[in-house]
Amino acid sequence: MRRLTWIGAGLVAAALLLLPPLSGFHPYYLYLVSTALLFGTLATAWNLLAYAGQISFGHAAFFGLGAYGAALASLGRFSPWWAIVLGGLLGAGGAGVIGLASARLQGAYLALATLAYAEIWRGIAHNWSEVSGGGAGLIGIPPLPPLPWLPLDFTRGRAGSYYLSLAFLLVVLALFAGILHSRLGLAFAAVREEEERASLLGVHPLPWKILAFALSGFFSALAGGLYVHMVRVVEPDLVFSRYFSILPLVMATFGGLHTLLGPATAALGLYLVSELLLQPYVPVFHQLPYGLALIVVVLYLPGGLAGLLPSPRPSPHRGEGR
Amino acid sequence: MALLEGRGLSMAFGGLLALRGVDIAVEEHQVVGLLGPNGSGKTTLFNILSGLLRPTAGQVWFHGTRMTDLPPWKISRLGIGRTFQIPRPFAHSTVFDNVLVGVTFRPRHRYHCPQDRRRETERLLGIVGLAEKAAANANELSLGERKRLELAMALSTRPTLLLLDELASGLSPKGREEVIRFYARLKERGLTIFAIEHSFRVLAQVADRLLVLDQGTIVADGRPAQVLGSPRVVEAYLGEDDHG
Amino acid sequence: MSLTTLAQTLASGALLGCFYTLMALAFSMVLSVTRALNLAHGDLIILGGYLGYWFWSGSGLHPLLLVPVAGAALLPLALLWQWLFNRLPEPKELSSLVLTFGLSLLLQNIMLALWRGEYRLIASESLTGSIRLGGLRLNQGRLIVAAAALAAVGGLYLALTRTRWGRAVRATSLDREAAALLGINVDQATRTTFLLALALSGGAGVLFATLHYLYPAGGIELTLLAIVLTIWAGVGRLRSVLVAGVLLGVIEALTVAWSGPRWRELVVALLLLASLLARSGGLAGGRSH
Repeated sequence: MRRLTWIGAGLVAAALLLLPPLSGFHPYYLYLVSTALLFGTLATAWNLLAYAGQISFGHAAFFGLGAYGAALASLGRFSPWWAIVLGGLLGAGGAGVIGLASARLQGAYLALATLAYAEIWRGIAHNWSEVSGGGAGLIGIPPLPPLPWLPLDFTRGRAGSYYLSLAFLLVVLALFAGILHSRLGLAFAAVREEEERASLLGVHPLPWKILAFALSGFFSALAGGLYVHMVRVVEPDLVFSRYFSILPLVMATFGGLHTLLGPATAALGLYLVSELLLQPYVPVFHQLPYGLALIVVVLYLPGGLAGLLPSPRPSPHRGEGR
Repeated sequence: MALLEGRGLSMAFGGLLALRGVDIAVEEHQVVGLLGPNGSGKTTLFNILSGLLRPTAGQVWFHGTRMTDLPPWKISRLGIGRTFQIPRPFAHSTVFDNVLVGVTFRPRHRYHCPQDRRRETERLLGIVGLAEKAAANANELSLGERKRLELAMALSTRPTLLLLDELASGLSPKGREEVIRFYARLKERGLTIFAIEHSFRVLAQVADRLLVLDQGTIVADGRPAQVLGSPRVVEAYLGEDDHG
Repeated sequence: MSLTTLAQTLASGALLGCFYTLMALAFSMVLSVTRALNLAHGDLIILGGYLGYWFWSGSGLHPLLLVPVAGAALLPLALLWQWLFNRLPEPKELSSLVLTFGLSLLLQNIMLALWRGEYRLIASESLTGSIRLGGLRLNQGRLIVAAAALAAVGGLYLALTRTRWGRAVRATSLDREAAALLGINVDQATRTTFLLALALSGGAGVLFATLHYLYPAGGIELTLLAIVLTIWAGVGRLRSVLVAGVLLGVIEALTVAWSGPRWRELVVALLLLASLLARSGGLAGGRSH
């Protein structure tokens, strides 16, 4: 079973690698699959935070911060590569802030706080016109330059951003795998499963939670930075859109919470079904897969949400005094 | 000076007084037993000693350090480990990882090489007899196995003081024999133990000293034989069977 | 800002607050009976608004007459919502949030498909103009909306306190198990709750459409407002919701008066985050688990 998973993953990776030449560098399909790959990264980043037991309904905040940060830095004549990294750091900071502020919130209330946080950033982007360009956003963001040491067909334009998105997803997946098997993963799982018990074993939960937020925010923001250099505009309602909060949640829970490859696989599958099969024929229902996937997860896969839901535990003073 | 000392500990939940000015002292390398009927405040006392609850009044010192306001993770790092009466493992993690957490994040006797941490974890699992269950998920264990896991988790931080909450309750007579042997082995290793047990018989065999808590106050304190013979204790337990 | 303008702003905000009260009550009713947070609440209101707009542009009837029509139009959805909410795993607060996040997405999509994301307003002539009251000039549309909202809230209050099924709903919201033990049909009461809540939402949508432009993604702001009010007032306390609603309306009116309407959404989100952090726990006052 495990072997099959890896063979399947290898085949998918090979197909993704060969897609541009096979599709004749078709710009629309490349753009579509690049976006799917970015959603894969976003879903994996969301999953990383969920691995530490923190439920976010506001990943749009981190994605959007990365997008704006990268756009502003790029327009400020930083090289796009540095701009994307700066955007990533901005997203990590923004995520750390909400992680710290909402440290005492759990479950649904943490989810609501992150949702509000994303809305706050959308509001700031709308109103802080001098910096963000207001509701109209920023235009004229330079494209990513082709990499010098590879054949031009593969590194310029859509193909370039395609391979970049793919490489980025693979790197994030590799990091996620590394984290799962490190001290980080151990601490995240302990904080998720039984925060109080973890603290009785000498683990101070707060810094780990903030770290999980910052890491997840960093990866999401890098995806945001990459995205604005692909679409080359940034608007509040585009990059702080609730879709960037809902879709990673749907994809990660549908693909299998806390698993390595599930969220990214679900992201590719759901996004491509929605855009390739439904959008051209029944555009009205092209978001339907996400809604249905979520309903299936909540109602029919109790295991699918199990990791989200903290196990009922006796509160400290209930052990006695019955 | 006692290793662990609590003075005037009181705890109120709303209008309910769970503890009323309790004084305790646990000497180093001793096994001190805590007895008391249901609802007498035993677990509340443990929750205060491990930092899960802040007492309404009173102070706790450990090694002469005042620790009343410290969070649980700092208290754990001072060298206090505890178990829960109803085991509370990391349910979806493996037995191995459950123990590895404490081994990895303890501040003293820390191993910097992951290999050493794994070896130490295996050693602890061997001590409690869970070595062959290392790869199982914690929620797949039987009650007896979970109790052993509790002990291994408590030991994983290398505590100098162990707070054991009803390690023997709910176990078969054979399991209880085993727990009694554990107590002896832990004491041999120089650990100080403060243990709640529901059963007189277990404590009478292992404890150097017994405390009896009733309705939030200490009603007896002394050597086991002395305490178990005292009329106050008999009165406190009147109508309570030794079924633990 | 002159004193008259200030008074006028306060009065106009208070009128708006009556509408917010109605909207928040529908949200908190569902929460108190099912412990589920309906994140699609605002989207349902917007849907009611679009339906109202559709009927209005087709029939030219007075918008107030369309309030019950839009309310009735949402009743089938109430049954769907109840069917879905019945199947939520524990803890319901979180699983409902996840589910309704998806439902909200679907509703927005459907509205976008049906009305193409155009901004719509029920600009009935019967609602324009203003009324002089002392030194104040009050917008007639707002007055009518506030009166209608208060009438609905009053009707709800009477229904919940005076009728048998209303009392069953209240008992179920206080303690589901105890209510069942007392022989109350809690499933029936839950259905009543959803029917009432969605009818109120649909009606509230028509009222909202006379005040603000509708757009498919506009629902989230209303949901956030409802959650803020529920945090402030607590679950199931009708009078506190009214006070909180009026307070929120006034805060919003002052924000708009001082810094312009584009800050409104930001202020609502900030209020929600601040309220959650200040409360750091469940909406019902208890811990979240």
